[in-house]
Formats: sequence, structure tokens, C-alpha cells
Amino acid sequence: MKTRRNRKNFNLNPTGDPWSPWLHVDIALVLSSVALAIIGAFMVYSATRGNDPEAYDRAYLNRQLLFLVVGVAAMTTAAYFPYRRIRDWVPAVFWGGMFLLLLVLTPLGVERNGTKAWFEFGSFQLQPSELCKIAYIFMLANYLERFNGRLDARQLGNGLLLGLIPIGLILLETDVGTALVFIAITMGMLLVAGAQTKHILVLTVVGVILSALVWSSGVLQDYQQDRLTSFIDPASSQTEAAYQQTQAQIAIGSGGLTGQGFGQGQQTRGEFVPEQHTDFIFSVIGEEFGFVGSVSVLALFAIVMWRCMRTARKSPDLLGTLICCGVMTLFAFQMFQSVGMTLGIMPITGIPIPFVSYGGSSAISCFVGIGLVLNIHMRRYQVV
Amino acid sequence: MSVSSRYLPQSHRLRLAVLAAVAISLFVPLVARLWYLQVIKETAFVERAADNTTETIIELAPRGRILDAKGRILVDNRASILVTIDKEEMATVGADDLQDLFFDLATEISRSGNLTKVTEIESAYRSNRYGPFAEVPVVQDISEELQIYLAEYSYKFPGVNTTVTTVRDYPYGSLAAHILGYVGLLSEDEMSSVALKEKTYLANDEIGKSGIELFYEDALRGTPGTKVVTVDKFNNILEVNEEIPAKAGSDVQLTIDIDLQALAEQELARGLSIAKQQPTKFEEEGVVIFNAPAGAMVVMDPRDGSILAMASYPTFDPELFVSGISNDDFDELTDPGNFLPLLNRAIQGTYPPGSTFKPFTAYAALDTGLIGSRGILSVNDPFYDEGVFLIPSCEGGTCRFQNAGEAAYGDVDLRLALTYSSDVYFYNLAASFDILPGFDLESVQVAAKSFGYGSRTGVTLAGEGSGRIPTPASRRDAYRENPDAFLTGQWLTGDTLNTSIGQGDVLATPLQIVNSYSALVNGGTLYAPNLGKRILDPITGETQVEFAPRVLKEIFLPDAFSEPILEGLAAVTTWRSEIGTEGTAYNAFKDFPHEQWPVSGKTGTSEKQVENMLIADYGLFVGWGPNPEPEYVAVVVLEEAGFGGQVAAPVIRRYFETIALDNVPAFLSQAEKDEIAKEQAARPSLTPVTETENINEDNSTS
Repeated sequence: MKTRRNRKNFNLNPTGDPWSPWLHVDIALVLSSVALAIIGAFMVYSATRGNDPEAYDRAYLNRQLLFLVVGVAAMTTAAYFPYRRIRDWVPAVFWGGMFLLLLVLTPLGVERNGTKAWFEFGSFQLQPSELCKIAYIFMLANYLERFNGRLDARQLGNGLLLGLIPIGLILLETDVGTALVFIAITMGMLLVAGAQTKHILVLTVVGVILSALVWSSGVLQDYQQDRLTSFIDPASSQTEAAYQQTQAQIAIGSGGLTGQGFGQGQQTRGEFVPEQHTDFIFSVIGEEFGFVGSVSVLALFAIVMWRCMRTARKSPDLLGTLICCGVMTLFAFQMFQSVGMTLGIMPITGIPIPFVSYGGSSAISCFVGIGLVLNIHMRRYQVV
Repeated sequence: MSVSSRYLPQSHRLRLAVLAAVAISLFVPLVARLWYLQVIKETAFVERAADNTTETIIELAPRGRILDAKGRILVDNRASILVTIDKEEMATVGADDLQDLFFDLATEISRSGNLTKVTEIESAYRSNRYGPFAEVPVVQDISEELQIYLAEYSYKFPGVNTTVTTVRDYPYGSLAAHILGYVGLLSEDEMSSVALKEKTYLANDEIGKSGIELFYEDALRGTPGTKVVTVDKFNNILEVNEEIPAKAGSDVQLTIDIDLQALAEQELARGLSIAKQQPTKFEEEGVVIFNAPAGAMVVMDPRDGSILAMASYPTFDPELFVSGISNDDFDELTDPGNFLPLLNRAIQGTYPPGSTFKPFTAYAALDTGLIGSRGILSVNDPFYDEGVFLIPSCEGGTCRFQNAGEAAYGDVDLRLALTYSSDVYFYNLAASFDILPGFDLESVQVAAKSFGYGSRTGVTLAGEGSGRIPTPASRRDAYRENPDAFLTGQWLTGDTLNTSIGQGDVLATPLQIVNSYSALVNGGTLYAPNLGKRILDPITGETQVEFAPRVLKEIFLPDAFSEPILEGLAAVTTWRSEIGTEGTAYNAFKDFPHEQWPVSGKTGTSEKQVENMLIADYGLFVGWGPNPEPEYVAVVVLEEAGFGGQVAAPVIRRYFETIALDNVPAFLSQAEKDEIAKEQAARPSLTPVTETENINEDNSTS
């Protein structure tokens, strides 16, 4: 108790030295998220290096390590400026993001796997919907904070309307998975922001009815429906989606308790699982490191989420709490959905595993999210 | 209080807890599912991963070669370029484009000289013997230029590939085609029958279909190699885990000598063409045309039962089967109108042996004592042949039997009866078997069967016929089965008489005839004829298996039996009395070098019963030499060709004369002929003289 008080006194630095909050950095959060990213980089390497021992392809590894460095830099930047001051810029960033989401629908955007969600700059792609996640979390937190923890129907409705803007634009890209992420974030933050229980129940019922309507209306393409249903019985389906999930489960199952070892996964080496370096990267972890490795990776996610929730509780204000909850929900939903589809218990929606999957936009977005949580954690003792 | 609750009211802490609980609960199904996949179901998934990623590649092994007795290669392998269609890749081509593609492909292949129809390609592609991912063989044996063309314009022919395979090659053309047989794609029936064999077969493998190729399939077939490899999704090989190299099939060496074989085929064909030139005979019963469409000839070494030559006419070109025979070609080869060229008449043709059967009737009479002390006459006793034989106290059926042309030979003993081929002498013996108490009416049948008639000889070829030796019992059965074919189911004395001269229902394959004579002239040893001499290692040439002569049985044949028979038969080719009666083949063997190479023989002229048709007799001749210890026994059968002594005996005479004078020409393969032609072209100044000499020699022998 004594040391703690001492540290607290020491850290309550009234002089406003901009470096003093860094003494309160959540080391566990940094280490676990960077660990996930490093594991991810090596899994990407295993999934993409090819089969020529004389000339393994390091291109993906190098790029993913570059993304890691850029991500850590972005994390530091996001942590550097006090979050309460950043809030003034948030609307501009958010609406800028919305503009990019519109722009990606124009011929400037590039389509991949039926989803039009990328800008291409030389050999790099930018996925604006990834970056918008964090901007949206901050924007929504910024809006909800002012109601001091109790939302009436109108305020709730406004919050939902705000959410509908990015969700609508992302659905226009036909990126159902990312839209679901936004829905999850919205629900999580509304819950913590003080939505009333009856409103939550009504929203749930409306959501179910809407989903059913969308499903039966024929808006979804056949392949999208396949992707959403094939996980129930992949053996009965001949689609690419079913093949992908079956192959992923073969890879994971054959990993056994301790896995086949790094670079030794037969399914991985044979590139049997499509997208094994991006959305389906968990199949590589499962095959090469087995049950032990898979659970360890999940444990790292548990640590990340735990630290986010901890910071949410310790936040000096509701803004910080909401941001942390938003970020935590983002990680939790993406992790569950992405790992779940690889394991065959969730439908296929093309979303990456945070930190682990190959991709710069995702990595940067995730690290910015961590940066914001660190930002709040660092400044948890500062008087609002 | 902790700092964390500074601003948060109690309800918010609850809401955070709910969110945290939801987040934690997410891990439960993930970990449970991981446990299920990786711990509970691990084995199943390990197997499925292995199925996915390891593949066994079969490497085909070349088939063994077939050699003649002197080691010359009769059947070889050569590389051949095969056009295949990748079904998986082709499946992506639309129906209209597919038609165009097949049309273009057929056009290109045909233009390169290998006439191919669109329908042939299409039916190969659509054949359901190949799985959906298979490489389907479409056209064999295309030119190298076309292979290059197809590779160059591969964008025009998606899914069309070429590979090099080995196919059968016949350096000596159609020589010995019936013996060698041919190979072909596995049929569905064969596929199930080879399933248990040691050497693996694949759907598009070839298998011996007939002849030696079929009989020695197990030795000739190579042992395919296997390669277990790790592959990726696109079937690229990542590494080789295990490799058993392919092993070429063993070579099979035959007892056949190609020079003797070629000579036999040539003499058989010549015999038929000479027989064809006989003028049409106009008889009371109708017009007899000497069609001489078909025949067979077998030459055997009586000392060990090995076959030296075996010819069947008409013959076929085994090359037709190499690229997979076309339906039209196959129909022609199996058309009775073409006299079934695929039929190996030497072992599958069954003929009434006619008078060539008489020595075995004589043996029956000697063995039972009918000729001898307790019988009707002794070996040297004459029997007066007046040209006609009446069955004593005849009970029905034909009662009056006569010699061919009602010739009366006067007093004949056993020897002369054989020399002249007196039917009446043998009718008398047969009637005595039938009538005399104490004698078995089936004595002739028993004797014939002991010389191998009526059952397969066991020659090392598939599809051998067993011939037929009729008995009262077999007649009864045959009548019961098909009453319309016989006047009565009863065995009459006339049937015994017909049987005794190799007529009636007696049927024998040329091989049975030559084999029975082998036993007769070698002192009574009946062999199962051998065509295979040994099996050789294809690389070292070492003998793996040596096929010893196979003795079926030792027939009781004391000198007292064989001497009169063989003496009578020796006179067939040499005897001429002062009054002009002569052995049945005396004329044919006139001026034969008898002193150098004593030769014996027996003629046969048999009637083949064909409903509502009068056809010419079948001419037969069996000959052997050099006496007294013959090295060759040869039989020739000429269908619808007339008298054996006139048409068949000269065939054997020419054959033996060539052997006796040591004139058997070396039969050259096409490659050897080309070589000689090249050499002659290289020294043109010498050739004119030798060439004219050769031509003269050729003319003199023909």
C-alpha cells in the first residue's frame, strides 16, 4: 500500500510534463498485443513462404513486420496526445473516414473477393473501413458521453443513427463482416453508455426481424448465403466456402495437442486453406502449434481484453470508459468471429483476426485502438 | 475506495461486468471446439490431412520382350507419344467450344497422318472408365512434329497434353502374330480379375489379350513403381517421401525359331494359293469349289514337345492393336466372312482328322489284340480290300462303306493299309470291335484318347480347343440336348466305322494331331507342347525360369506295335509297286532327298459336314523326319482344298526339303532389310551380279 501511494503521489505530476503519463503505461497490454502481432507475423511467414527451402519467400513476413513497426508507431502516437484533447479533432477524422468509405465505392476503389473495400497505392492496399472502426468508436463515445450514463429513447436513437452511417456505407461495399463488427461495437458501447434494458430488448427483437427480412428478401447473393450457412454442415456443400472451412478444420484437427511444429504443417505447406495468411490464419496456428498453441494465443487475447476492461473501469471519465469498451468489443467480436469461422462454429465473414492476420490496415487500426486504451490508462489519475 | 469508482455509479459497474462476462463467455465455445477438433478428433483429421497432402504416383514399367529360340526379339517396346485430355481442365471449357476444340484437335492429328475422327476423341473423353480428374488417353502414336505443335499452340487446346509412353513394337511385322497375340486396354471384367494380382493394374493399363501376351502376362508385365509424395493443393510435388522404382517385366523366350516360323507361314500360304488354282469340280451332288480360304500348320520337336513353328492362315497385323484398334479394323478381324483372321486355327480350329487318324485305330487293334494271336488276323496277314465294305447283319443306318473313289487295293496287310490308306481294312477292324464278343466297341476311342485326342494338349497358349472323340455315351447326351441334329440317339456300327477313319463326329485340332504323332514317333512319350522356353531377366539376360519338357504320360508302345505302323507310314512317301499302286504321298515326295533325310507321313482327306452346302474336302498331311529318330513332326491342314496327298503333302514336302537341304532362309526384320539395302547402295558396282543370281535361285526353288 505504501509503495502504491508513493507512486501515486509521484505520478500526480501537476507540472504537466508531457512524458510523465508514460510512467503509467500498461506494460501487460503492450506486451500481449505486440506478442500477438509477432506470432502473427511468423504465422504469415509460415503460410506464405512457399516450399523452396533454398529460397523461402520473405516478402509477406517483411511487410507484416513493417506493419508491426508502423502499428507500434501509430500506437505511440495515439497514446501521446491526451485523449480528451483529441476529441476536438474526432468529428473531422470521422467524417473524413466516411468520405473515404464513399470514395472507395467509386471506381477509385478496388474489388477483391466480391467486396469493394480497398484503395490501391502501388503494392500497398488501404482498407478505409478498418481505420474507420477506431474513428467511429471515438465518435460514438464522444457523443454518448454527454448523457452521463443514462440514455433515453431519442438519445439512443441518435446514437443508432450515427452508427447507421458507416454501417450503411460498408454494406454498400457488400462487406457484411465488417458491418457486423460495427454493429457489435455499437451494441457494446450503447450498453455501457446506459441504454435502458427495455430498449435493448426492443432493439434485439427488431434486429432479429430485420435479419430475417434481409435473408429472405434476396438482397444477399447466393455465395454470401452459402458463406453464412455452410458452417452448419460443410460436408453437404460443394461451395468454395464449405471447402475452405473443411480444409481449415482438417488443418487445425491434425495439429493435435502440440502441433506439427513451425513450418511443418502439411495443410499449410500445401496451401489447402484459401486465405490462410489473412482471415483463416488461425488454421496455421492450430496446425503448427496444436491445442496448446491455439489456447495460448486465445489467452493473449484474453489478456488484451482484460486490460481493456480494467482500463475501462479505471478511466477517470465516461469518455475513456466508452472508448475502452468499444475497443474491447472490437477485439472480442473480431477474435470470436474470425477464430470461430476457422473452427467451423461461425459463418464465414471475411474479417481478420486482430494483430495476427496479414494486413496493414487491420494492424494499424488495432494498434491505434491499443494506443487509445493506453492513453486512457496513462491518464487515469488526471483530474478531469 | 479504489480510484476506479471515482465517477462510475453502481449501475455502470454492473454494465461493465455484463460486457466482461459476455466477452469471457466467448472463449468457452472456442476452447471447447479446439478441444474437440484437436484432442478428441485428432486421429481422424490427421488421416484426412494425409489423404489431402500425400499422393501415391504409379510409375509404369515397360513390359517384357518376347524372344525366339535363338534370342531374336519378336516383340519389343518403343516410345510412343500419346495425346491425353485432362478431364478436370477440359470441364471448364463450354459445350460449344468443346466441340470446336475436338474438331480442331482431330483435324490437326489427322493432318499429321494419324487419321482420327472427332467421335473417337469424344467417346474417349466421355468414357466413364476414367474419373473426373483423370488424364484420358485419346490418340496414341503421334509424330514429334505434332507434339511440338500442340505444345506451342497449347492456348488453343486447353487441357490437351502429350506424354511419352511405351507401346509394343513388332520388328518382324505380322510374323507369328497368332502365337504372340496382342495387348489392349483392360476390360471391365479383367479389371476385377486382376484386382488380387501382385502387380498393380491401373484403369488405363494394357494387358495381354491373346497368345503369349496373355499366357505369360504375369511374367511379361512390369512391376509398376510407386512414389509417395507430399503435394500441395495444386498437386505440385513438394517432396518425395518414399520411392519404389518401377521394374521392367521379364523377357519370355519361345521355342519358336523365326526362320522355321517364317518358312511355315510362307509354305502354308503357298499351299493354299496352289490349292485354290484347282479347277472347280462338277459332281452329281453339286459343284465343288476349291476355296482354300484358311489353314493351319504346326511343327514340333517330337523329342521334347516344343513347338518350332505354328502358323494359321489368314493372319493379322498385330501393329493394328498398338494404338488401340479401331472398331472397323476389329470387326474385319472377327468377321466370319473374312475367315476370322484372329482365330489361331492351329489350336482353336477343330477338324475331322480323316485318315491321319488311322494309325491310332491300328494301335487300338494291336493293343487290344484284334490284330494278333487272339484276334481276327495277324500283322502280316493280308485282307482283301475290294473297295467296298458291307456291315455284316446291318441293323440300320448306312450299311455300305467304301474307299475314296471306290479304289480297290486288293490284298493289304496293316502296313499297306496305312500306306495306301485303305478305308475298308480299317472298317473291318472297327466292325470287329463292334461285333466280336470280347472286344470293346470303344477301343478306338480309348486308344485315341491315350494319344491325347479329345482333351486339351495343355499347350502354353490360351483358348486351346479340345476337339472331340465321340462315344455311345456322348452321342446319347448330344442327342438328348439337340434331337433335331441326329437321326437317332443310338450308336450304330456305322458310327464305329466312321470313327475308325477319323470321320463322323471326330474332331481334332492341328496341334492335337501333331502331338499324337510326336508320341507315336518318339517311342510313346506324350508331351504337353511347350511354346515358352524360359523366362529371362530383362536387364542381365539371366534365366529366371527354365521350362522343362512336360511329359503327360508314357504310352504303352512296344516295338511290336510301332514297327508295323511306322513302316507302313514310311512307305507313304516312298512306296510304289510294280503295278503302279503307290503310297498316298508318293507323288508329293517324288525326288525328295530320302537317303539324306528319310521322311514319313500320313495323308488325310476329311469331309466337313456343312448343312445344305457342298464344300471341298479338307486336305491334311502329317510328316516327320529325319527317320529313324525324327527331329521334326509337322502337320498341315488346308480347308476346302481337296485331297491331302495332292494339296497338303506338297506343303510339308517343300518345308522338309528346305530343312533337309539346309536351305532355311534367315528371316530378316524390316530394320535388317533396310540395313542391307543401305550397304548394297554403298557399293553399287558389285550388286548387279549378285542380284541376278539371287533372282535365279529364288525362281528355281519355287
